[in-house]
Amino acid sequence: MKDFIKLSRRGFLKAAGIAAGYAVLGFNMTKEVIAATMEFIGLRQKSVYKADATVFKIRKSQDNPMIKKLYDKNKGFLPQGPCSHKSHELLHTHYYNRSAKIKALKSKGIKLSL
Amino acid sequence: MAGSKPQAKPKQAPAYLSRLKLDSPGSRVKMEEVDYVINAPKGKDPSEFFFVQVDPDKCQGCGECESHCATGAIQSINDDDIHKVIDPAACINCGQCLANCPYGAIYEQVSYVAEIFEKLKDPDTLVVSMPAPAVRYALGECFGYPTGTYVGGKMQAALRALGFDYIWDNQFGADVTIMEEGTELIERIKHPSKDKPLPQFTSCCPGWVKFCETFYPDLLPHLSTCKSPIGMLSALAKTYGAETTKTNPKKMYTVSIMPCIAKKYEGLRPELRASGYRDIDATINTRELAYMIKKAGIDFKKLPNEDPDPVLGMSTGAGTIFGTSGGVMEAALRLAYEVLSGQKLKDPDIKVVRTHEGINTADIKIPNFGTIKVAVASGLKNAAKLCEQVRAGKSPYHFIEIMTCPGGCVNGGGQPLDPSVREEASLFKYMIGKINRRYRARKIS
Repeated sequence: MKDFIKLSRRGFLKAAGIAAGYAVLGFNMTKEVIAATMEFIGLRQKSVYKADATVFKIRKSQDNPMIKKLYDKNKGFLPQGPCSHKSHELLHTHYYNRSAKIKALKSKGIKLSL
Repeated sequence: MAGSKPQAKPKQAPAYLSRLKLDSPGSRVKMEEVDYVINAPKGKDPSEFFFVQVDPDKCQGCGECESHCATGAIQSINDDDIHKVIDPAACINCGQCLANCPYGAIYEQVSYVAEIFEKLKDPDTLVVSMPAPAVRYALGECFGYPTGTYVGGKMQAALRALGFDYIWDNQFGADVTIMEEGTELIERIKHPSKDKPLPQFTSCCPGWVKFCETFYPDLLPHLSTCKSPIGMLSALAKTYGAETTKTNPKKMYTVSIMPCIAKKYEGLRPELRASGYRDIDATINTRELAYMIKKAGIDFKKLPNEDPDPVLGMSTGAGTIFGTSGGVMEAALRLAYEVLSGQKLKDPDIKVVRTHEGINTADIKIPNFGTIKVAVASGLKNAAKLCEQVRAGKSPYHFIEIMTCPGGCVNGGGQPLDPSVREEASLFKYMIGKINRRYRARKIS
């Protein structure tokens, strides 16, 4: 409440103006814009599933002939199959704890959402 | 799929390259309504610099960016509410702030476009294209197609016309990921351990991976050890791909084409050098690809539909759905179902996991095995809720898919913008911005 009282006349007018603006226009528009954006993304998502069902003749990774060729037990590049030693060397990775820098930022007084 | 045969060198560079004026390093270029700095970092730790930043002269202080940021990395830095990404450590490079800024005030600080043109020109370099699934569902929008139009065939043709030597496809990388990550999941379900506990988190999304490393490092054992599809495809490109095409991997230059900004960070991760070289030499996004196609004077709409080169390019429906929230889950279940039940999955549609927004959970019944409990989170604020549950030891799930961008990669920070963000949204916000500006100007005087 204290901060509110401190508000200058100009500041109060601005806040009231914006509040009135939002009441009339903003609330509905903001809601509509978010809905519109998700609708826009929905169109792209729909197109993905349509292609999955109509463009691609094969729909499971394990049925892809080039996947079978890659993992072929005799002539394949990864003959030991998925999660083998060789695939771990090439296709798997490890991760790093990056929290120290966040602690440092917070100790400097920087506020984050998490 | 009729793919073209591997080409023998010397290659013939397309004619457009000789008349092309390259953008000079350090300059700012507008590509599909977004500003980019021409800057191709090499061998630098990507944790040390910004991928997106706010132009203080264009920022109106509306705070829209902040509402899309899950970490709070973008925040007001002064009384005028001018915003800034405060530190690279706090930013996970998703670019949702950029995609949702009504004023176009947020720009990208890394672009390899000029370097890629140079490599395409160089007769001694074999340039490899590796486009992500989601790119082909948005690229068409830059050339006048309706939202979401699938332009996969034309995209491959455009990459050939640009002069890429090997037209490979990260949808094949996605298929490989399913084999590895699905197998890992089955292993974890059968034998969960302290090193490899349940639930297993997906690891395809570079924003999420950095988020987990930064804010939930105690959960890293839950993260699949699998590289992302592009991490896998690029490692295979300079080993398996080099072998099958009889190419010296040293002469290969791999270009990752993504709907994403965070993939630029991933491409620079020091550990991604399994092939003995940098696995990924350059990363661009959908907007930059559109810019390159336009700059080359290619008439996109007139291009025929072409297929990628098959060996590292042939892909399935499971690969293409990686581009949407719930897709990785569905693709993995199409494998897990068959392996665990020993039966064919008759209908590959597993619609219950398809996710538009928020958190979606499902119980998948598998004959001869039991039930797999899964969750899909779209957006990192939702991801954090699931993380807290795992941290508390109360997560009932076997497998959790996380995508940083709401709706998945089709809504990635590197995709062509939703025109309404700048048009309709700006009308009212522009007025607020104007009021703010006027108010500040008075305050100073």
